Amino acid sequence: MQKLDPTQLPATLGGQLRRHLPAYALGMVMLGAFQLAMNRIDWLSKHAIDRIFGNEAGAPSIPALTMLVIAVGAFVTRVASRWFIFNAGRDVEYEMRFLMLDRLQKLGTAFYRKMSAGEIMSRATSDLAQVRLLYGFGVLNIINVVFAFASTLQVMLTLSAFLTLVCLANIPILVMISRTVSRKLFTATRENQDSLGHLSEVVQANLAGVRVVRSFALEERERERFEVANERYLQASLSLARLRGSFQPIAGATAAIGMLVFFWYGGTLLLKGPENGGLTQGDFFAFWLAFVRMTWPMIALGFAWSMIQRGRAGFSRLKEVFDAKPEVVDGTRRAPAHVSGSLRVTELDFSYAARDAAAGAKSLPRKVLDGVTFDVRAGESLAIVGRTGSGKTTLALLLARLLPTPPGAVRIDGIDVCELPLSAVRSQIGYAQQDAFLFSTTVSRNVGFAIDDPDSPGAMERIRHAATEAQVLGEILTLPEQFDTVVGERGVQLSGGQKQRVALARALVWEPKILVLDDPLSAVDARTEAAILEAIERQAERRTVVLITHRVAAASRCDSIIVLDEGRIIERGTHDELVRAGGLYAAFAEEQRMASELDELDDVAIPSNPAPVEVTS
Amino acid sequence: MSADEAPKSATPPASRAAEKLKAFHEESSIGKAYDARLIRRLWPYVRPHSKFIVVSLVMLVFLTALGLMRPIVMGDVVAKAASRDAHGLMRDGAALAGLLVVMQLMSYAQIYAMQLAGARSMSDLRRSVFMFLQRLHLRFYDRTPVGRLVTRATNDVDAVGELFAQGVLNAMGDVFTLGGIVVMMLVLDWRMSLIAFVALPVVGLIVNFVRKRSREAFRDIRAKTARLNAFLNEQVSGISVVQAFGREKAAAAEFDEINVAYREANKRSVYYEAVLDAAIEMVSTLCIASILWWAGFDHLGEHTITFALLVTFTQYIRQFFEPISMLSTRYTIMQSAMAGAERIFQLFDEKAVHPPASGAKCAPSGDEDVVALDHVIFSYKEGTPVLKDVSLHARRGEKVALVGATGSGKTTIASLLLRLYDADAGSVKVFGRDVSEYDEHELRRSFAVVPQDVFLFSGTVLSNIAMADAKPDRARATLALERIGALELFERREGGLDARVDERGANFSGGERQLLAFARALYRDAPILILDEATASVDSDTESRLQIALDAVMQARTSIVIAHRLSTIRAADRIIVLHKGRVAETGTHDELLTKGGLYARLYRMQFAHERAQASDRTVGVTPAPPPA
Repeated sequence: MQKLDPTQLPATLGGQLRRHLPAYALGMVMLGAFQLAMNRIDWLSKHAIDRIFGNEAGAPSIPALTMLVIAVGAFVTRVASRWFIFNAGRDVEYEMRFLMLDRLQKLGTAFYRKMSAGEIMSRATSDLAQVRLLYGFGVLNIINVVFAFASTLQVMLTLSAFLTLVCLANIPILVMISRTVSRKLFTATRENQDSLGHLSEVVQANLAGVRVVRSFALEERERERFEVANERYLQASLSLARLRGSFQPIAGATAAIGMLVFFWYGGTLLLKGPENGGLTQGDFFAFWLAFVRMTWPMIALGFAWSMIQRGRAGFSRLKEVFDAKPEVVDGTRRAPAHVSGSLRVTELDFSYAARDAAAGAKSLPRKVLDGVTFDVRAGESLAIVGRTGSGKTTLALLLARLLPTPPGAVRIDGIDVCELPLSAVRSQIGYAQQDAFLFSTTVSRNVGFAIDDPDSPGAMERIRHAATEAQVLGEILTLPEQFDTVVGERGVQLSGGQKQRVALARALVWEPKILVLDDPLSAVDARTEAAILEAIERQAERRTVVLITHRVAAASRCDSIIVLDEGRIIERGTHDELVRAGGLYAAFAEEQRMASELDELDDVAIPSNPAPVEVTS
Repeated sequence: MSADEAPKSATPPASRAAEKLKAFHEESSIGKAYDARLIRRLWPYVRPHSKFIVVSLVMLVFLTALGLMRPIVMGDVVAKAASRDAHGLMRDGAALAGLLVVMQLMSYAQIYAMQLAGARSMSDLRRSVFMFLQRLHLRFYDRTPVGRLVTRATNDVDAVGELFAQGVLNAMGDVFTLGGIVVMMLVLDWRMSLIAFVALPVVGLIVNFVRKRSREAFRDIRAKTARLNAFLNEQVSGISVVQAFGREKAAAAEFDEINVAYREANKRSVYYEAVLDAAIEMVSTLCIASILWWAGFDHLGEHTITFALLVTFTQYIRQFFEPISMLSTRYTIMQSAMAGAERIFQLFDEKAVHPPASGAKCAPSGDEDVVALDHVIFSYKEGTPVLKDVSLHARRGEKVALVGATGSGKTTIASLLLRLYDADAGSVKVFGRDVSEYDEHELRRSFAVVPQDVFLFSGTVLSNIAMADAKPDRARATLALERIGALELFERREGGLDARVDERGANFSGGERQLLAFARALYRDAPILILDEATASVDSDTESRLQIALDAVMQARTSIVIAHRLSTIRAADRIIVLHKGRVAETGTHDELLTKGGLYARLYRMQFAHERAQASDRTVGVTPAPPPA
């Protein structure tokens, strides 16, 4: 398979059409040949019949046998035309989907705040499908209708211009009907899908919240919600059915009127006979064949017409993704060959301008980070401590340029990260995020996410090792297929703590020069935490570690600690210094000591089989 | 995510993980197209609407008959023209017109009646699935992903519905049409008919051959579509992980393989569909050509074949192959409908269901104990009991704190009281009656629950507070918020009480969700409160708000608090210390202290610690214990 280069792919309707021009041209030739063959068949039928009924000299078997051969030719060209053009449509769809992922990967949080996952998916599915229909069905039918018109008119006009005129009177009506119905069908189909979507949302929420529903005895309310959604879907599917059902009779009746006109007036001409300016049996037959042949392309024209409009509308929605500007782009400087891993942050300010502007806040956007300055020497460890909302995560994201880092604020080995290519920054600063997002693939693929060939024996070794370090190996081995168990979405569900440790193992496998761990232990119990912290310490021997945490036990193991509060560093020093200083950090330390003592209740030896002490006062 | 992850069908999967994923994602087996057992089970849902089906089928018979007549009338028009009967020509023309209009109208009614029957029965079936899901034991939910169950009520029901939407019952019409045409052609001219009949097996073979492959391609497309969308969806939601790990290229390569596989499957399907349509057209042209050829010979001899017959015959041939193609399409739909029905009825066969609510009222006994557990044993998974012989009780108005490490069984006790699960042994009593004696709804109405993970429904703040009410009482909700001291916090939000709540409350912070849960509990005003204190860290402002809220909801209620904060524990009338599924100690704060056991040791440690930290802290200090 040839690799596509996203930069070479045109993201415009015209560009894609030009790119696949050879296929379209071949398809066009095939369509031309097909319609020519059909035209020949009409004429051959005429000759055969006229020869049978003595209107023409010669043996009827010659045109009849020629017809056999041409019918095979028509078959081949018809299949080939669809093959070329529909496949081109599929190729366009494929390339646009490819482009879409490419764009989505470059876009940052600013974009994802504006466009929800649902909206993105609707572009990738229904809008893209509309575009594909435009490039397949739409193009084919537009080309076909031209040839079909030429091919049938040639027969019909030659035989009787007036009959042609009379018969064709209803053709524009047919085109308009099919176009209107096609439009309405689209709306009705969408409503049908929306109501199905709503219905599954209702069911989904009901099942996901099954414990709440039962605890609060909400069944009655839920049943009503369901009834409303179910009824809406029923009505939507019935109105779609009415519309679909009505198209055939309306189009059929319109086409039938044409047919009737033909049989009646054509019959009159047949009655006159060729000698009086009428038709021969062969003429009648050939005209009939040609006329029948014209109906479908005309109906399809109506469909193709509205399909082109929808395809363009769908494409304009795709453009919103294609044209979105990534907020974080590659720097121009070449990636350094060797990185020691020192990190320097100077006067880092940051605010989520876009979000506040969108919310309509009149005041200046609140600074999430304000003048944050610190240094971490290569190979040292730093803990960032602070309450929820103090800006810890934002700071971590800025280090790896996962948000638009202001130029000059973050330096690796003295080089501004904004000047480096993104791939270089992110391979040197590894950020492991707070919420443990796992992919719905096997456990080993999740842990070995950062490894290029996760199936090699060496990789498996590393994966196992990381799982051991993250204290999750034992649990993985109890899963139905151990490391090959598929987790997530539709696979085995892991507990919050297990997910977090798998995610931690994923970060440990990675081995970047600077490892940023964002609260990797929030859902892990104290004993496991201690073991994991030792593993992180071992990591810290080989690299620079930035540990974001609200746990003092974790922070105390780091070489230095900074305390963030409302975006500012309010304290810095070692654990002992900060505890002595008696500030926020010391308060944290105290709070957590109390909490951990409560936890230790479990570890206090109590009689293994105590008689329940029922104290009654 | 190596390049060989999802190999082309020709080469074997290159890795273990790839094999697992393939087996995991691809649709497994295809069932039979007809299964009498499933049809019998479907029938009760269809029967109430069967009158529409009868109407539809009667019309189908008429339609088929009219369809058979059309070529005759057409031929007759031509015959009248040949015999120079101008009057007859007019009459036949009118007959043809009438025939066509009647046929179109009837076909509309026929299709719609079928759809009506189908859509209504499927709506009923869907309701049954939903109601069944409401009665399934929670144990079932513990082991089944929610997404799969949603599919039962949506996609699977729709697959069955296709039986009607695509008019599979019209297959009867197809067979009838086919037979009718055969008879008509034989009657008209048996020798010419033979030519068409020779083509019949050829068409049958072609259709069978192509459809089989096209079905496979179609199934392939479905599996690939699901995978493609799932993958993209996951990439979008996990984009920050992909970007942080710098795995864009690897992800793109994996996506490309799925994308290519999807495209190729589609191309195959395009090809087969095109071949099928074109082949049928070709065969009918070949038939017509052969008949013309034959007519040529015949004509030289006896002059038996008239032009009218030729026209009629041609028309029959055009109509001849359509039912064959339709029959094969309908077979495919049948197959997937049966598979859908199979999955739905498999769900219905699930034994772990609660009996339908009896609605029987159950008078509370005069017992002083509001809730009581007596030697209760319970396990989620067989062999690993979570509660091992637990006995405890709470008297009217008492505040009982359950204390213990994660996994000691605290939350399980709450679930048993609500009868979300049934105890394996021992008794669980509420107001002196065993929970199994109550109507479930009746039982649960006695409780207000504040869970650790608050689940918000999409809607508004108000609709979430007044969860059980169809018409929320705004004043009562406002009062509830006010009493927990969170009214201004929520009124500050744009929209106030009518502020939008996204799916699962995604636009609310953990603290806000907790506060909403407290407001819910107050609004509900049930005699018993079950509170599972949140362990997640919240900022100090929210922390103090939660404390106020907690005091407000516990007032004048029997409360069972799964406590994590010392302040909450000390405020309790009685403390029950759980350890590994057993009650280790029970008593008031003072009693337990005097007893000098587990709790006392804990408290002394805590006390000493707090004295050592005598100086005032502005942040992070647990508030002073309120008087017991």
